This record gives sequence, structure tokens and C-alpha cells, in this order.
Amino acid sequence: MLTMIGLRDTFGFVVDRRSRAPRIAALLLLSIGATSCDKAITQTESLEPLIATSTDAAAGTWRPIVLTSTSQIAVAAPTAVTSDAYKAELAAIKSAQRVITPVQQERVAYWSGGGVLRWNQLLRGLVARYNLPPAPRADGTYPGPDVNNPFGDPAFPFANPPYAARAYSYVAVAQYEALKAAWYWKYQYNRPSPAKTDADVRQLVPISDLPSYPSEDAVLAGVTVAMLQALFPASVEEITRRGADQREAALLAGKATSSDLAAGLALGRSVAALVLARASTDGTSNAVGNATLWAALADSARAKGETPWLSLETPARPPMLPNFGFVQTWSMTSAELSAARPVAPFPTASAQMKAEVAEVRRTVDGLTTAQRAIAQKWNDGAGTYTPPGHWNDIAAEFIRDAKMSEVRAARAFALLNMSMHDASVACWDAKFRYFNPRPSQLDVNIRTDIGLPNFPAYPSGHSTFSSAAADVLGYLFPASAAEFKVMSDEAGISRLYGGIHYMNDITAGKSHGARVAAFTIRFAQSDRAQ
Amino acid sequence: MDLRCVLSRDSRGTVHASARALVGGFVAVALTWAAPVAAQSMEDAIFMDRRVLCAGLLYTRDQWSNYWEGGLKRDNGNVGTVTTQAAAWMGAYGVTDKLNIIASLPYVWTNASQGVLGGQRGAQDLTVGVKYRAFRTPLTSAGSLSGIVGLSASAPTSDYTPDFLPLSIGSSSKRVTARGTLSYEGRNGVYVNGSAAYTRRGNVTLDRVAYYTQNQLFLTNEVAMPDVSEAALTVGYQRKGLVIPVVITRQTTLGGGDIRRQDMPFVSNRMNFTRVDTRVQYVLPKLRAVTVHAGVSQIIAGRNVGQGTTLMGGLLLVGKL
Repeated sequence: MLTMIGLRDTFGFVVDRRSRAPRIAALLLLSIGATSCDKAITQTESLEPLIATSTDAAAGTWRPIVLTSTSQIAVAAPTAVTSDAYKAELAAIKSAQRVITPVQQERVAYWSGGGVLRWNQLLRGLVARYNLPPAPRADGTYPGPDVNNPFGDPAFPFANPPYAARAYSYVAVAQYEALKAAWYWKYQYNRPSPAKTDADVRQLVPISDLPSYPSEDAVLAGVTVAMLQALFPASVEEITRRGADQREAALLAGKATSSDLAAGLALGRSVAALVLARASTDGTSNAVGNATLWAALADSARAKGETPWLSLETPARPPMLPNFGFVQTWSMTSAELSAARPVAPFPTASAQMKAEVAEVRRTVDGLTTAQRAIAQKWNDGAGTYTPPGHWNDIAAEFIRDAKMSEVRAARAFALLNMSMHDASVACWDAKFRYFNPRPSQLDVNIRTDIGLPNFPAYPSGHSTFSSAAADVLGYLFPASAAEFKVMSDEAGISRLYGGIHYMNDITAGKSHGARVAAFTIRFAQSDRAQ
Repeated sequence: MDLRCVLSRDSRGTVHASARALVGGFVAVALTWAAPVAAQSMEDAIFMDRRVLCAGLLYTRDQWSNYWEGGLKRDNGNVGTVTTQAAAWMGAYGVTDKLNIIASLPYVWTNASQGVLGGQRGAQDLTVGVKYRAFRTPLTSAGSLSGIVGLSASAPTSDYTPDFLPLSIGSSSKRVTARGTLSYEGRNGVYVNGSAAYTRRGNVTLDRVAYYTQNQLFLTNEVAMPDVSEAALTVGYQRKGLVIPVVITRQTTLGGGDIRRQDMPFVSNRMNFTRVDTRVQYVLPKLRAVTVHAGVSQIIAGRNVGQGTTLMGGLLLVGKL
């Protein structure tokens, strides 16, 4: 009577129906065992203290992206290591090390995992924090995030995939520019780190022969805090604290003196100012558009005899960043962007389109557990770090395992995110040119297993991002290129499983992303970092 | 063992009383997203006699149009009215007069009246519990007081996703619940139960490798599930095959974060609620092996849950084996 279906699978033993009571007691005990163990969860992206395989001493000669040259921002010569001022700085480190607290030791250990990797983790957290669409007002309209009121409802920003792709790229490029400049000055002045000049300064983390002036940790703190404050102003307090922690950790670890840190901080901030100047004029401020534009997009599709995309949210929400396709790219000209654009999707009234719709319907109606898991795995929807964040997540472990210097790690993230930003611009350009409806608009019986993005279908953003990311990562880590391709293909097909894309969106997005990545790789091949 | 339920000559009182013991738990099946199933199943003081089995099916239908996003009560046009239905098999068996085994397994299906999100369906969690009467003391001319302790365990029986709330069919967390109940039964048919429970919940695994909750990005597919406490007060009446309890239940999740503004609910959210429910259980006079159940419950306050109204109906068969 007490049919123990499922017990075998769940608990690994078969219940004998003839003597239930002892077995049930055993089940209870097993369940207690299953749930009473430590609830602590292990975060998978752990970072050991960074010991780079190379200091990349020539990084000061690598090709700049925003700066005119790596020496564009002057860094004054440091005082001699024999000077009284420097000796006073060493004494300050030693006295700070003598009274180091457990919290400070934790921070030293945290930042020893690598500043570029840590900031990338923090950035992914910020994107996930702000990747929430505005809630509708009572009258059915939607308020827009307001940069001048970042703490309001809605908060600023709405870190949706295009916003996030751009943010990841600006932070990564700024860090990369700042670190190349730092490397340039480090090898101009060749001041050793305090633990190398004074045997009484303890090395709390592995310290390489990299010159310490200006401090790479302070450069990273300076440039990243300034970038993040601009991109995520409502988190200014946390961002500022993290930057201060990173600088303090470098001093306590015996890596940098106060003058190493001060020079680094100033350099980082100056680089950020130049990069933010580019960001302020890159077209993002016009990306939201207005009601006239939104209506014109639909009218234009109708004029071509097409069924225009409609928001399927209730109340209907304006499309996500329809002018993002006009935002400045990193590695493509606007002519190259146009040339790379996918051909038009099947006309909405065509037989091919009907077949595409039917395929989505068939897929969601017969979805397997494994397919649903894939749809969930790559969902990366509202409230997450977005698809570009997912690829940063993937890249981080490869970058960590390759034990890259800070400047080379910054290059890897910069190339990856430049490519995904360009993919984002290119994809949005195509999406709003074609304004193609989602499957659930053409067949109301298509119910999705993930949230439906509020912008046109063709081509698939996931596919474009993922293909661009996989190609750049394959260039950086050739031994794993096939692995990245498998992930990229899975990310693409996950959108069919989710019921939110036609197959043609996915194939077009994949080849589009590959064309975009080729421009990033072309840049990488000539950046003198080989 | 077969499904025959033979009316036991001397178990009439036990028949409807044990049915009452079961129903509470299954009202909780569909109440709110991820509400612990059968958490209440052992809240009361009634025991099956030795070798008496009570088993049957209960159907519940829960609906809400408003929910609490953290402390903010709102509706959401992208789901409209969310309906969760469950058909639950349940059984209770008297190992001895003082020791009962209780089990349940619901099949759950969900639906949103608006928007494009697809409802989910599947077998949910198997719950098996034991319930033991530690004491029963006659009180001077007023009735009796008894104390009951219980221990139950739940585990998912299918690989449904917990990551699609509010349309997921459950939390997919393994759980163990310890419960203590004090029961006063008056001679006039009125009874009062006070019950407290603590549920320990095992971690949940998602299909994705990172998630954000409680102001933090977690770079793992594993979610720590906060434990849950529950307190319930029942005032009821029982007489001649009829039982009418009124229960107020307060569930408190001991941790977890709020649903963020305009975000989806998350499996480890701090889901709290206060619920009032009432039920009628009636032993058919001419078919004493059959107990009919009907009930309604309403969430009256909550946090990170839907303001659900639940209707319930079912049939239980009782017999001596």
C-alpha cells in the first residue's frame, strides 16, 4: 500500500514492503543525514595566490586602444630607495604588518588571487545586482532608470545584456590600458618592491621581480573604482571600499609602499578619465530611443509587409535599447558593421517562417529534462550576470589556470569583452533593422521555459555573444578551442529549447558572432603581446 | 498488501480522527510556491489504531493574483493568476495505537493565466513520517491532555526544476521536520492543539553555475536553503463522524533574501506567511469506510509568497488490515 516509488532513486536502496517500519525509520535517519550536514556551499571559482608564469616585462610596448601611447600619462620619478622618505615608508609597512588584524589578513589573501580576476568577479556581481527591468507604474507605463537618481525605483542602471556587454568591455579595456601604462613606467624606474629592498618587510603573498612603482594593485583600484562608479553609481560605497581594501592589501602584503600606491592610484584614475571620455560620447545615451522611434520601427516593418515585433509583456514594455546598434564599437568601423550584418530573416508570412514556428512549438511541447536543463543553464536572464557575464565566468577559470600576469589577464578580458560588446552592437543593429517577432507572438500556444526577452528575435543575441566569445577564447587558449565551440553551440540551441528563438535566429547569430570576433582577433594579432 | 479498506468494528472514532490527521498536511501542498509539503501532516493528536490503514486521494487547487515582493504586495501582468493544483496520494497506518506512520506523494501542476511562461508538472516530493504519542493525561472532569512528537522526511521523486518560480512545482530540497504537539480534548467535542515544528532543509542544486541572492553573487550551482519554523494553533470540534478544525499557521523561513524589485522569486527566498484554514471532514453514515474532506484556506499575511486561496477536497478510505 505504501508505494515507495522513488525511494530507490533517491536513497539508493530498495524498500522491502514486507517490513516497513524499520525501513521507514532507516529512511528518516538517512534523510537526516542528507540534510543535517554543513550547509556551507563551495564557490567554484576559487583563486589561489597568483604566481604569474611571466612578468611580461615588455607589456609597456603593447598596442594601446584608447590611449595614444602607454606613456601618454606621465608618472613622476620615484624617490630613491636609499632616501629617508622611502625608509620611512618601509618602516610604516613594517609597523602595519606587526599589528595586522585577521580581517586585514583575509583581505590580503582575497586580493592575492589577482586583482583583474577579483574585479571581474565583483563586476559580474554588480551586473547581476542591477540587471532588473523597471517595474510598471500603476498607469501601465514604465519609468526609465535615471542616472541622476541611481538609488530610485527603478535603480540605475538596468544592466541588461547590451548595457552589461558594454560595461564589461569598458572596465576591461580601461584596466588593460592602465596596466600597460603602469608596466611602461615600472620598467622606466625599476623600483623593487619593498619586500625585495628590505628583508625585514614580510612577504605575505608571492612577490615577483615586477618593479613596484607605480603599484599595479593601486593602478587597478584607481582605474576600476572610477569606471565602476560611473557605470554603477548606486554601489559607490561598496566599490570605493573594495578599492581601498585592494590598496591596503598591497601595502600589508609587502608588495607596495605608500608612494608606489599613490602613483598607481593617480595613474589609474587618469586612464579612467580618458576611457570615460570615450564612453560619454559613444552613443549609449541615445540607445533607449523614444515613443516616436518605437512606433516608427513597427511602421517600417509593416511597410515591408512584415508582422512587426510586439512586446508580449503586460503591460507592453518599450523594446530594450533599440538604438544600441548605433553605439561605437571597439574593433569594427560602421562600414564593417554593415557588411557583417546577417541577411534578412524569412518573411513572417512565408512557408519557411511557418516551419520555423512549428519547430519551436514541437520542441517546447516535447521538451526533455536534459533540454530544459540546458535552457536553464544558459538562461542568463533578468537578475543574472547576463550572457556576456557567463562568458566572463567561463574565461576566468582559464585565465586563472594559465597563471597570467595582471596585464596579460587584463588583455584576455579586454579582448573577450571588446568582442562581446561589438557582437552586442552588431546584433542589436540587426535585431532592430528586421524587428522580427518572437515565436510566442506568431503562435500563442508556444509557452516558454525561460523568461522571454523584450526585444526582437532575429538574430539570437545569445548565439551572437557566445560565438564571438568562443572564437576569441579559442584564439587565446587554442588547446581548448573545441571546448569553447561546444559551449557556444549549447548556448545557442538553449534558446530553441527555451521556446524563445527560431533555429534561423540561432544559425544567423552564430555566424554573425564569428564575423565580429574576426575583427577582434585581427586586432589581437597585431597588439605586440604575442 | 492490497487496497481493500475494511471498516474496523471498533475504529469509528479513529476513522474520522485519523483522516483529520492527514488533511492538514496536504492543504499545504499547493499553497504557495515552495511551501513545505506535508509540513502540517503530523500536527494533531489523533492516532490510527493498530493495524488500521487510512489512505486516499486529495485534490487541492491554489490560486493567487497578488504576491509579496519582499514586503511589497503587488500583482504581475506577466503571470496574471497563478494556479497550482495537486492530486496527492496519502496514507496513514497504525503500527501501534501510539505509533503511526504517515506518507504522502503529490502530483503537482502549475499554470499562469497571462504571459508566455509555461506551467510545470510532475510528481513532487515523497514525505514519510512517524508520529508518536508520548503521553495522555486525563484532566479533572474536563477532558484530556496529550503530547505528541513526530519526525518526517521529504525528498523529491522527480527531477523537476526549482529554478522556475513561481511556476516550479516545489523546492526540490530534501527536508526533515521535527514536530511537537500539545493537544487538549474536551468532553464537549471541542479540542485545541498547539503545534510547533522545525524543518531542516538540504541544499539545492541548480542547472546554472551562478546566481544572485541576498545582495551577493554566488559562483556555484549549489544553493543553501534556510531552515523553516512553523507554529500552528487549532481550535476544532468533533462529534459523530464530523470534524471541523480551524487552524491558524505561521511559517517563518529562518534566513534567505527578499525577492528583488521586479525579479522572479528564488528558491531560497525568505518565504513567510500566516494562513487560516478550515476544513470539514465527514464520515459517510452509510459507508463508514469513507471519509469525505473539503476545505478552504487563505493566506492573510506573507513575505515572498503568493496570497493564495486554496480549495481542497478528497476521499479517504479506512480499514483494518
